[in-house]
Amino acid sequence: MPSVALVTEDYWPQGDFVAKSLGMPDAPRVKLPHPVAGTGEANLTRIAEQVVEDIVSKLKGSGEL
Amino acid sequence: MIATLEAIDESAALEQLHELGCTDGLPVIIPTTARVERMVLATLLDGDLVLGEMGPGMGVATIEKVAVAAVMAGCLPDYMPIVLAAVKAVINPAFDLTEMQSTTHCTAPLVIVNGPARTSCGPVASGFGALGPGHRANASIGRALRLTMINIGGAQPGSSDMALLGHPGKFTYCLAEDEEHSPFPPLHRSLGFSANDSVVTVIGAEAPHSVLYSGNADDPENVEKLLSQLAVGLANFATNNAILTGGAAVVVLNPEHADIFSQANMNREEVQQKLWQLTHKPVSQLEQVGGAFGGGRKPGGDYKTFNKPEDILILTAGGSGLYSMVMPSWCAGKHKNSAVSVVVETDQFCEIPL
Repeated sequence: MPSVALVTEDYWPQGDFVAKSLGMPDAPRVKLPHPVAGTGEANLTRIAEQVVEDIVSKLKGSGEL
Repeated sequence: MIATLEAIDESAALEQLHELGCTDGLPVIIPTTARVERMVLATLLDGDLVLGEMGPGMGVATIEKVAVAAVMAGCLPDYMPIVLAAVKAVINPAFDLTEMQSTTHCTAPLVIVNGPARTSCGPVASGFGALGPGHRANASIGRALRLTMINIGGAQPGSSDMALLGHPGKFTYCLAEDEEHSPFPPLHRSLGFSANDSVVTVIGAEAPHSVLYSGNADDPENVEKLLSQLAVGLANFATNNAILTGGAAVVVLNPEHADIFSQANMNREEVQQKLWQLTHKPVSQLEQVGGAFGGGRKPGGDYKTFNKPEDILILTAGGSGLYSMVMPSWCAGKHKNSAVSVVVETDQFCEIPL
């Protein structure tokens, strides 16, 4: 099933580490600003609008990591 | 055989290990080939024997690699059976090591030792200051486990160990049960092991929270008040246990508090049952303070912070006095932060002279 991980920038190094240790260094990821949790619905909507194209692109199997 | 590093002297070797991120930040004993071989010899096992993988780095734990950590931590060869049992415990899938090492929570592996190995592989302290400085086995066994989690499991702060602050128990967190002053059977007996077994029980836990209770034998509510104090510490609304629910936690009774239960003719199971009941909480309060984790329950009534009474581990340790300790937990991962117990294999170990 196509999937993509949404990772905030503070946790991006951890995403790299886990992806490599599990043998999936190219696992599709999209970087979000940090923090996201608890920042309110308006901010979540704004972030979603910024990254939706990237998410769709990675789900289609294209786009850079 | 694992790769070796070279340095002109031990001081340079120490700096090299610090720079490579192989230490816990404190000086270590340099794991020279001779020292590691001596530690492996104590196990009478093949150094290449594989114990399992340690996440999140998925490094392969062998006897030799664990011996390296034990040397670095300052262990005596006598401690190796306990160190190996502790490593086996965290490697057990039920421990969820990868998730536990990666979480933002402060959780650290608390190592509880029961049975004859407390003395034959130690002594592992169980009395005054058992979780503090001054006890070589407690300090170095817990530290050895941490060094395996760093160097085999790949845990590095901020990139793979995402604990927001951590806690001092991440350096070492090990004690024995004071079986001799406990009114209850040893913890491992309650967990289904035999009296002659030596057992290590490991659980990811927060730092110990002190619980003050000034007992009064003339107070007819003496037991109820002690139980109430312990329950507040175990699952107050700042703990994951109260918000996420379903995990385990630890109660370390000092002998004086344990005696209050003994005087009331309460056994371990009855204390667990009472604490389980006292940690049921109002759903309305969870909705108020639980944030993203507070919803989804049927409104009104109470909810259980622990699924079952036996998720509350109770042991006796420490000096006698006013203070017991509780260790709430992370309560997450596939197995909800359960405790894992492993028998300490003492039969096959050989004594290595100093």
